[in-house]
Amino acid sequence: MVADAGVQVTELGAEDHACLTFGESEELFDLTAAFIRDGLAAGLKVVCLSGAGPGPVAGELGRRGVGVQPAIARGQMTVAGWEGRLLSGQAFRADTAVSWLAEELQSCRKQGFPGLRASLDMSWALRPVAGIEELPQFEEGIAAALAGSTAAVLCQYDRERFDPVTLASVAGFHSRSVAAATYHADALLRVCRQYAPPGIRIAGEADYQAEEPLALALAEALRLDGDIEVNMSALAFIDARCSLMVADAARAIASLSRLVTLRCLPEVAAGFARLGLDAITGIRLVTSGDR
Amino acid sequence: MTAEEGRPGRALGDGTAPAGIAPLDQAFDAGSLYALRAAVAARAAAAGFGRREVYEVTAVAHELAANAVIHGAGHGRLRLRADDGFLYCEVSDDGQAPADGAVAPGNGTAPWPAEHGHGLWLAGQVTDQLSISHGPGGTTVTVRFALRSR
Repeated sequence: MVADAGVQVTELGAEDHACLTFGESEELFDLTAAFIRDGLAAGLKVVCLSGAGPGPVAGELGRRGVGVQPAIARGQMTVAGWEGRLLSGQAFRADTAVSWLAEELQSCRKQGFPGLRASLDMSWALRPVAGIEELPQFEEGIAAALAGSTAAVLCQYDRERFDPVTLASVAGFHSRSVAAATYHADALLRVCRQYAPPGIRIAGEADYQAEEPLALALAEALRLDGDIEVNMSALAFIDARCSLMVADAARAIASLSRLVTLRCLPEVAAGFARLGLDAITGIRLVTSGDR
Repeated sequence: MTAEEGRPGRALGDGTAPAGIAPLDQAFDAGSLYALRAAVAARAAAAGFGRREVYEVTAVAHELAANAVIHGAGHGRLRLRADDGFLYCEVSDDGQAPADGAVAPGNGTAPWPAEHGHGLWLAGQVTDQLSISHGPGGTTVTVRFALRSR
Protein backbone atom coordinates (compact mmCIF):
# COMPACT_ATOMS: atom_id res chain seq x y z
CA MET A 1 0.00 0.00 0.00
CA VAL A 2 1.36 3.41 -0.88
CA ALA A 3 0.57 6.59 0.99
CA ASP A 4 -1.59 8.86 -1.11
CA ALA A 5 -1.42 12.60 -1.21
CA GLY A 6 -2.21 14.24 2.09
CA VAL A 7 -5.74 14.03 3.41
CA GLN A 8 -7.42 15.94 6.18
CA VAL A 9 -7.35 14.20 9.54
CA THR A 10 -11.12 14.63 9.68
CA GLU A 11 -11.47 12.44 6.59
CA LEU A 12 -9.91 9.31 8.13
CA GLY A 13 -12.09 6.24 8.49
CA ALA A 14 -12.09 2.46 8.89
CA GLU A 15 -9.05 0.56 7.60
CA ASP A 16 -7.02 3.74 7.32
CA HIS A 17 -3.43 3.40 8.37
CA ALA A 18 -2.36 7.00 8.48
CA CYS A 19 1.07 8.52 8.84
CA LEU A 20 0.97 11.85 10.61
CA THR A 21 4.14 13.85 10.22
CA PHE A 22 4.29 16.90 12.42
CA GLY A 23 6.77 19.68 13.00
CA GLU A 24 5.74 20.95 16.43
CA SER A 25 3.75 19.72 19.40
CA GLU A 26 0.88 22.15 18.72
CA GLU A 27 0.36 20.52 15.34
CA LEU A 28 0.67 17.02 16.83
CA PHE A 29 -1.90 17.59 19.55
CA ASP A 30 -4.25 19.51 17.27
CA LEU A 31 -4.44 16.71 14.71
CA THR A 32 -4.49 13.99 17.37
CA ALA A 33 -7.30 15.75 19.21
CA ALA A 34 -9.36 15.91 16.02
CA PHE A 35 -8.73 12.21 15.33
CA ILE A 36 -9.76 11.25 18.86
CA ARG A 37 -12.67 13.70 19.05
CA ASP A 38 -14.22 12.30 15.87
CA GLY A 39 -13.64 8.72 17.08
CA LEU A 40 -15.33 9.34 20.42
CA ALA A 41 -18.19 11.16 18.72
CA ALA A 42 -18.73 8.12 16.46
CA GLY A 43 -18.88 5.84 19.51
CA LEU A 44 -15.59 4.10 18.70
CA LYS A 45 -13.08 2.78 21.20
CA VAL A 46 -10.04 5.05 21.32
CA VAL A 47 -6.52 4.11 22.40
CA CYS A 48 -3.89 6.78 22.72
CA LEU A 49 -0.30 5.67 23.26
CA SER A 50 2.10 8.45 24.13
CA GLY A 51 5.42 8.98 25.82
CA ALA A 52 4.19 12.23 27.33
CA GLY A 53 2.28 10.50 30.15
CA PRO A 54 -1.49 10.29 30.66
CA GLY A 55 -1.78 13.54 32.62
CA PRO A 56 -0.15 15.89 30.11
CA VAL A 57 -1.85 14.12 27.19
CA ALA A 58 -5.26 14.47 28.84
CA GLY A 59 -4.46 18.12 29.50
CA GLU A 60 -3.46 18.84 25.90
CA LEU A 61 -6.48 17.03 24.48
CA GLY A 62 -8.82 18.58 27.04
CA ARG A 63 -7.60 22.06 26.09
CA ARG A 64 -8.76 21.24 22.57
CA GLY A 65 -12.24 20.21 23.58
CA VAL A 66 -11.81 16.44 24.00
CA GLY A 67 -13.51 15.09 27.13
CA VAL A 68 -10.75 12.65 28.04
CA GLN A 69 -11.64 11.87 31.64
CA PRO A 70 -15.34 11.13 30.99
CA ALA A 71 -14.34 8.90 28.05
CA ILE A 72 -11.86 7.00 30.23
CA ALA A 73 -14.46 6.72 32.99
CA ARG A 74 -17.02 5.11 30.68
CA GLY A 75 -14.40 2.71 29.28
CA GLN A 76 -14.36 4.24 25.81
CA MET A 77 -10.81 5.52 25.93
CA THR A 78 -7.39 4.40 27.09
CA VAL A 79 -4.40 6.69 27.47
CA ALA A 80 -1.21 4.76 28.13
CA GLY A 81 2.54 4.54 27.60
CA TRP A 82 4.39 2.22 25.24
CA GLU A 83 5.63 -0.37 27.75
CA GLY A 84 3.70 -3.64 27.55
CA ARG A 85 2.13 -2.53 24.28
CA LEU A 86 4.66 -1.48 21.66
CA LEU A 87 7.69 -2.14 23.87
CA SER A 88 8.61 -4.89 26.25
CA GLY A 89 11.42 -4.17 28.68
CA GLN A 90 12.51 -1.26 26.46
CA ALA A 91 12.95 -3.69 23.56
CA PHE A 92 10.88 -3.74 20.40
CA ARG A 93 9.62 -6.72 18.47
CA ALA A 94 7.37 -6.08 15.51
CA ASP A 95 5.28 -9.25 15.91
CA THR A 96 4.66 -8.56 19.62
CA ALA A 97 3.58 -4.98 18.91
CA VAL A 98 1.28 -6.05 16.07
CA SER A 99 -0.20 -8.71 18.37
CA TRP A 100 -0.99 -6.01 20.89
CA LEU A 101 -3.02 -4.14 18.26
CA ALA A 102 -4.79 -7.33 17.19
CA GLU A 103 -5.75 -7.97 20.82
CA GLU A 104 -7.04 -4.42 21.14
CA LEU A 105 -9.20 -4.96 18.06
CA GLN A 106 -10.58 -8.17 19.50
CA SER A 107 -11.20 -6.62 22.90
CA CYS A 108 -12.94 -3.67 21.30
CA ARG A 109 -15.31 -5.98 19.43
CA LYS A 110 -16.05 -7.95 22.61
CA GLN A 111 -16.88 -4.74 24.42
CA GLY A 112 -19.41 -3.95 21.74
CA PHE A 113 -17.72 -0.97 20.17
CA PRO A 114 -18.33 -0.57 16.45
CA GLY A 115 -14.68 0.18 15.79
CA LEU A 116 -11.32 1.29 17.11
CA ARG A 117 -9.11 4.32 16.70
CA ALA A 118 -5.52 4.15 17.87
CA SER A 119 -3.09 7.05 17.91
CA LEU A 120 0.50 5.92 18.27
CA ASP A 121 3.21 8.34 19.29
CA MET A 122 6.23 6.83 17.54
CA SER A 123 8.90 8.91 19.27
CA TRP A 124 10.03 5.81 21.18
CA ALA A 125 11.74 4.82 17.92
CA LEU A 126 14.11 7.77 18.35
CA ARG A 127 15.54 6.11 21.45
CA PRO A 128 18.25 3.45 21.44
CA VAL A 129 15.71 0.64 21.53
CA ALA A 130 16.74 -2.93 20.71
CA GLY A 131 14.90 -4.23 17.65
CA ILE A 132 14.33 -0.83 16.08
CA GLU A 133 15.30 -2.29 12.71
CA GLU A 134 11.93 -4.09 12.77
CA LEU A 135 10.03 -0.80 12.50
CA PRO A 136 9.11 -1.26 8.81
CA GLN A 137 7.86 -4.79 9.60
CA PHE A 138 5.70 -3.34 12.35
CA GLU A 139 4.13 -0.81 10.00
CA GLU A 140 3.59 -3.56 7.42
CA GLY A 141 1.96 -5.74 10.10
CA ILE A 142 -0.34 -2.90 11.17
CA ALA A 143 -1.45 -2.45 7.57
CA ALA A 144 -2.27 -6.17 7.34
CA ALA A 145 -4.13 -6.17 10.67
CA LEU A 146 -6.30 -3.25 9.56
CA ALA A 147 -7.37 -4.82 6.27
CA GLY A 148 -11.09 -5.55 6.46
CA SER A 149 -11.33 -4.17 10.01
CA THR A 150 -13.31 -1.29 11.44
CA ALA A 151 -10.21 0.27 12.92
CA ALA A 152 -7.99 3.22 12.03
CA VAL A 153 -4.45 3.85 13.24
CA LEU A 154 -2.66 7.17 13.29
CA CYS A 155 1.12 6.77 13.53
CA GLN A 156 2.79 9.99 14.61
CA TYR A 157 6.28 10.86 13.37
CA ASP A 158 8.16 14.04 14.19
CA ARG A 159 9.48 15.11 10.80
CA GLU A 160 12.17 17.28 12.41
CA ARG A 161 13.62 14.43 14.46
CA PHE A 162 13.16 11.32 12.33
CA ASP A 163 15.71 11.01 9.58
CA PRO A 164 14.38 11.02 6.02
CA VAL A 165 15.54 7.44 5.41
CA THR A 166 13.47 6.09 8.32
CA LEU A 167 10.44 8.16 7.29
CA ALA A 168 10.74 6.90 3.73
CA SER A 169 11.09 3.29 4.89
CA VAL A 170 7.80 3.39 6.80
CA ALA A 171 5.81 5.77 4.59
CA GLY A 172 5.00 3.12 2.00
CA PHE A 173 3.13 0.96 4.52
CA HIS A 174 0.65 3.71 5.32
CA SER A 175 -2.49 4.14 3.28
CA ARG A 176 -2.86 7.78 4.18
CA SER A 177 -0.58 10.69 4.80
CA VAL A 178 -1.83 13.34 7.20
CA ALA A 179 -0.48 16.80 7.97
CA ALA A 180 -2.11 20.08 8.82
CA ALA A 181 -3.27 21.95 5.72
CA THR A 182 -0.65 24.67 5.47
CA TYR A 183 -1.15 28.02 3.78
CA HIS A 184 2.31 29.34 4.48
CA ALA A 185 5.42 28.08 6.22
CA ASP A 186 8.86 29.59 6.38
CA ALA A 187 11.37 30.41 9.08
CA LEU A 188 9.34 33.43 10.18
CA LEU A 189 5.70 32.46 9.89
CA ARG A 190 3.43 29.45 9.75
CA VAL A 191 -0.24 29.71 8.80
CA CYS A 192 -2.19 26.45 8.88
CA ARG A 193 -5.60 24.93 9.51
CA GLN A 194 -6.50 24.05 13.07
CA TYR A 195 -8.76 21.06 13.57
CA ALA A 196 -9.55 21.01 17.28
CA PRO A 197 -11.15 23.43 17.82
CA PRO A 198 -11.76 24.23 14.14
CA GLY A 199 -10.15 27.34 12.75
CA ILE A 200 -6.69 28.48 11.75
CA ARG A 201 -3.39 28.84 13.55
CA ILE A 202 -0.92 31.64 12.94
CA ALA A 203 2.50 31.29 14.55
CA GLY A 204 5.66 33.34 14.33
CA GLU A 205 5.59 36.90 13.02
CA ALA A 206 3.04 38.20 10.52
CA ASP A 207 3.50 41.38 8.54
CA TYR A 208 2.07 42.72 5.29
CA GLN A 209 4.28 40.37 3.29
CA ALA A 210 2.09 37.49 4.54
CA GLU A 211 -1.10 39.14 3.32
CA GLU A 212 -1.86 36.58 0.62
CA PRO A 213 -1.66 33.33 2.62
CA LEU A 214 -3.38 35.00 5.56
CA ALA A 215 -6.26 36.11 3.33
CA LEU A 216 -6.59 32.56 2.01
CA ALA A 217 -6.60 31.05 5.49
CA LEU A 218 -9.14 33.56 6.79
CA ALA A 219 -11.37 33.00 3.77
CA GLU A 220 -11.36 29.28 4.49
CA ALA A 221 -12.12 29.90 8.15
CA LEU A 222 -15.14 31.92 7.03
CA ARG A 223 -16.35 28.93 5.04
CA LEU A 224 -16.08 26.49 7.97
CA ASP A 225 -19.28 25.60 9.76
CA GLY A 226 -19.94 26.71 13.29
CA ASP A 227 -17.75 28.54 15.74
CA ILE A 228 -14.09 28.98 14.93
CA GLU A 229 -10.85 29.85 16.66
CA VAL A 230 -8.02 31.94 15.29
CA ASN A 231 -5.18 30.58 17.36
CA MET A 232 -2.42 33.16 17.57
CA SER A 233 -1.01 31.97 20.89
CA ALA A 234 2.40 31.48 19.27
CA LEU A 235 2.25 34.67 17.23
CA ALA A 236 4.90 37.04 18.55
CA PHE A 237 4.10 39.93 16.21
CA ILE A 238 1.32 41.03 13.89
CA ASP A 239 1.40 44.29 11.99
CA ALA A 240 -1.41 46.73 11.34
CA ARG A 241 -2.41 45.35 7.96
CA CYS A 242 -2.65 41.75 9.14
CA SER A 243 -4.41 42.85 12.32
CA LEU A 244 -7.05 44.59 10.21
CA MET A 245 -7.47 41.48 8.08
CA VAL A 246 -8.05 39.31 11.16
CA ALA A 247 -10.37 41.94 12.63
CA ASP A 248 -12.42 42.16 9.42
CA ALA A 249 -12.74 38.37 9.24
CA ALA A 250 -13.74 38.17 12.91
CA ARG A 251 -16.41 40.81 12.41
CA ALA A 252 -17.71 39.00 9.33
CA ILE A 253 -17.95 35.67 11.20
CA ALA A 254 -19.58 37.29 14.22
CA SER A 255 -22.13 38.95 11.92
CA LEU A 256 -23.22 35.43 10.89
CA SER A 257 -24.16 34.70 14.52
CA ARG A 258 -21.13 32.48 14.90
CA LEU A 259 -18.68 32.75 17.77
CA VAL A 260 -15.10 33.53 16.88
CA THR A 261 -12.34 33.18 19.44
CA LEU A 262 -9.13 35.13 18.97
CA ARG A 263 -6.52 33.48 21.16
CA CYS A 264 -3.35 35.51 21.49
CA LEU A 265 -0.61 36.89 23.70
CA PRO A 266 -1.59 39.84 25.93
CA GLU A 267 0.30 42.45 23.89
CA VAL A 268 -1.29 41.22 20.66
CA ALA A 269 -4.69 41.16 22.34
CA ALA A 270 -4.16 44.80 23.35
CA GLY A 271 -3.87 45.67 19.66
CA PHE A 272 -7.15 43.94 18.84
CA ALA A 273 -8.81 45.63 21.81
CA ARG A 274 -7.58 48.94 20.42
CA LEU A 275 -9.50 48.10 17.25
CA GLY A 276 -12.62 47.59 19.34
CA LEU A 277 -12.86 43.82 19.00
CA ASP A 278 -13.25 43.31 22.74
CA ALA A 279 -16.65 45.02 22.60
CA ILE A 280 -18.25 43.07 19.76
CA THR A 281 -20.84 40.40 20.49
CA GLY A 282 -19.71 37.10 19.05
CA ILE A 283 -15.99 37.84 19.31
CA ARG A 284 -14.04 36.40 22.24
CA LEU A 285 -10.62 37.87 22.82
CA VAL A 286 -8.69 35.35 24.92
CA THR A 287 -5.16 35.94 26.11
CA SER A 288 -3.07 32.89 26.57
CA GLY A 289 0.39 31.69 27.29
CA ASP A 290 3.46 33.63 28.13
CA ARG A 291 6.29 33.65 25.68
CA MET B 1 7.25 71.02 5.74
CA THR B 2 6.99 69.83 9.27
CA ALA B 3 4.04 68.70 11.29
CA GLU B 4 4.17 67.86 14.93
CA GLU B 5 1.53 66.29 17.05
CA GLY B 6 2.23 66.28 20.75
CA ARG B 7 0.08 65.13 23.62
CA PRO B 8 0.47 65.43 27.32
CA GLY B 9 3.07 62.80 28.08
CA ARG B 10 1.78 59.28 28.04
CA ALA B 11 4.49 57.62 30.04
CA LEU B 12 5.62 54.12 29.26
CA GLY B 13 7.86 51.78 31.15
CA ASP B 14 8.43 51.44 34.85
CA GLY B 15 9.78 54.91 35.46
CA THR B 16 13.42 53.96 35.04
CA ALA B 17 15.33 56.42 32.88
CA PRO B 18 16.75 54.93 29.69
CA ALA B 19 20.31 55.64 30.68
CA GLY B 20 23.14 54.26 28.67
CA ILE B 21 21.51 52.35 25.84
CA ALA B 22 23.55 52.32 22.67
CA PRO B 23 21.84 54.20 19.84
CA LEU B 24 20.58 52.16 16.93
CA ASP B 25 21.16 53.23 13.35
CA GLN B 26 20.01 50.59 10.93
CA ALA B 27 19.16 50.52 7.25
CA PHE B 28 16.17 48.45 6.20
CA ASP B 29 14.23 47.21 3.23
CA ALA B 30 11.41 44.70 2.76
CA GLY B 31 13.67 41.76 3.41
CA SER B 32 15.13 43.07 6.64
CA LEU B 33 12.06 44.26 8.54
CA TYR B 34 12.20 41.23 10.79
CA ALA B 35 15.80 41.99 11.76
CA LEU B 36 14.83 45.62 12.29
CA ARG B 37 12.00 44.63 14.67
CA ALA B 38 14.35 42.39 16.61
CA ALA B 39 16.91 45.17 16.98
CA VAL B 40 14.30 47.73 18.06
CA ALA B 41 12.77 45.31 20.58
CA ALA B 42 16.17 44.59 22.09
CA ARG B 43 16.93 48.32 22.49
CA ALA B 44 13.50 49.09 23.94
CA ALA B 45 13.86 46.28 26.48
CA ALA B 46 17.33 47.51 27.40
CA ALA B 47 15.88 51.00 27.88
CA GLY B 48 13.63 49.68 30.62
CA PHE B 49 10.30 49.30 28.88
CA GLY B 50 7.94 46.57 30.01
CA ARG B 51 6.85 43.73 27.75
CA ARG B 52 3.76 45.43 26.38
CA GLU B 53 5.59 48.70 25.79
CA VAL B 54 8.44 46.91 24.03
CA TYR B 55 5.81 45.45 21.72
CA GLU B 56 4.29 48.88 21.10
CA VAL B 57 7.63 50.51 20.33
CA THR B 58 8.45 47.64 17.98
CA ALA B 59 5.04 47.81 16.30
CA VAL B 60 5.30 51.55 15.69
CA ALA B 61 8.86 51.25 14.35
CA HIS B 62 7.69 48.49 12.01
CA GLU B 63 4.73 50.49 10.73
CA LEU B 64 6.86 53.53 9.97
CA ALA B 65 9.50 51.41 8.24
CA ALA B 66 6.85 49.45 6.32
CA ASN B 67 5.36 52.73 5.11
CA ALA B 68 8.75 53.71 3.73
CA VAL B 69 9.14 50.32 2.04
CA ILE B 70 5.65 50.14 0.57
CA HIS B 71 4.94 53.77 -0.28
CA GLY B 72 8.31 55.48 -0.18
CA ALA B 73 11.71 54.62 -1.55
CA GLY B 74 11.40 50.91 -0.81
CA HIS B 75 14.12 51.21 1.77
CA GLY B 76 15.13 53.56 4.52
CA ARG B 77 16.97 54.07 7.76
CA LEU B 78 15.82 53.83 11.35
CA ARG B 79 17.52 55.57 14.21
CA LEU B 80 16.67 54.92 17.84
CA ARG B 81 18.12 56.86 20.73
CA ALA B 82 17.38 57.63 24.34
CA ASP B 83 17.65 61.20 25.51
CA ASP B 84 16.50 63.05 28.60
CA GLY B 85 13.87 60.53 29.68
CA PHE B 86 12.56 59.81 26.20
CA LEU B 87 13.12 57.18 23.57
CA TYR B 88 13.15 58.64 20.06
CA CYS B 89 12.56 56.61 16.94
CA GLU B 90 13.27 58.28 13.61
CA VAL B 91 12.47 56.66 10.29
CA SER B 92 13.59 58.30 7.08
CA ASP B 93 13.53 57.48 3.41
CA ASP B 94 14.39 59.39 0.28
CA GLY B 95 11.24 58.49 -1.62
CA GLN B 96 8.54 60.82 -2.80
CA ALA B 97 5.01 60.78 -1.44
CA PRO B 98 2.44 59.89 -4.09
CA ALA B 99 -0.09 62.53 -5.05
CA ASP B 100 -3.00 60.23 -4.25
CA GLY B 101 -3.65 58.13 -1.21
CA ALA B 102 -1.75 60.50 1.04
CA VAL B 103 -2.90 60.67 4.61
CA ALA B 104 -2.54 63.58 6.95
CA PRO B 105 -1.04 62.50 10.23
CA GLY B 106 -2.90 64.75 12.60
CA ASN B 107 -3.25 68.40 11.78
CA GLY B 108 -3.33 67.81 8.05
CA THR B 109 -0.28 69.86 7.18
CA ALA B 110 1.98 67.03 6.03
CA PRO B 111 0.95 64.19 3.78
CA TRP B 112 2.26 60.73 4.44
CA PRO B 113 1.70 57.93 2.00
CA ALA B 114 0.00 55.34 4.12
CA GLU B 115 -2.70 52.98 2.97
CA HIS B 116 -5.66 53.24 5.34
CA GLY B 117 -3.40 55.35 7.55
CA HIS B 118 -3.62 52.63 10.15
CA GLY B 119 0.09 52.47 10.84
CA LEU B 120 0.20 56.16 11.60
CA TRP B 121 -3.02 55.90 13.55
CA LEU B 122 -1.34 53.29 15.72
CA ALA B 123 1.70 55.52 16.14
CA GLY B 124 -0.57 58.34 17.23
CA GLN B 125 -2.25 56.05 19.74
CA VAL B 126 0.78 54.73 21.56
CA THR B 127 3.47 57.40 21.24
CA ASP B 128 4.03 60.48 23.29
CA GLN B 129 4.74 62.66 20.27
CA LEU B 130 4.71 62.26 16.51
CA SER B 131 6.34 64.56 13.98
CA ILE B 132 6.68 64.30 10.23
CA SER B 133 8.94 66.29 7.97
CA HIS B 134 8.44 65.95 4.28
CA GLY B 135 10.38 67.54 1.51
CA PRO B 136 12.23 67.03 -1.75
CA GLY B 137 14.82 64.90 0.01
CA GLY B 138 12.24 62.46 1.28
CA THR B 139 10.22 61.88 4.42
CA THR B 140 11.31 61.62 8.03
CA VAL B 141 8.97 60.56 10.80
CA THR B 142 10.02 60.88 14.41
CA VAL B 143 8.07 59.45 17.31
CA ARG B 144 8.81 59.85 20.98
CA PHE B 145 8.06 57.50 23.84
CA ALA B 146 8.22 58.80 27.38
CA LEU B 147 9.89 56.73 30.02
CA ARG B 148 9.33 59.03 32.95
CA SER B 149 7.17 57.90 35.84
CA ARG B 150 3.50 57.43 35.19
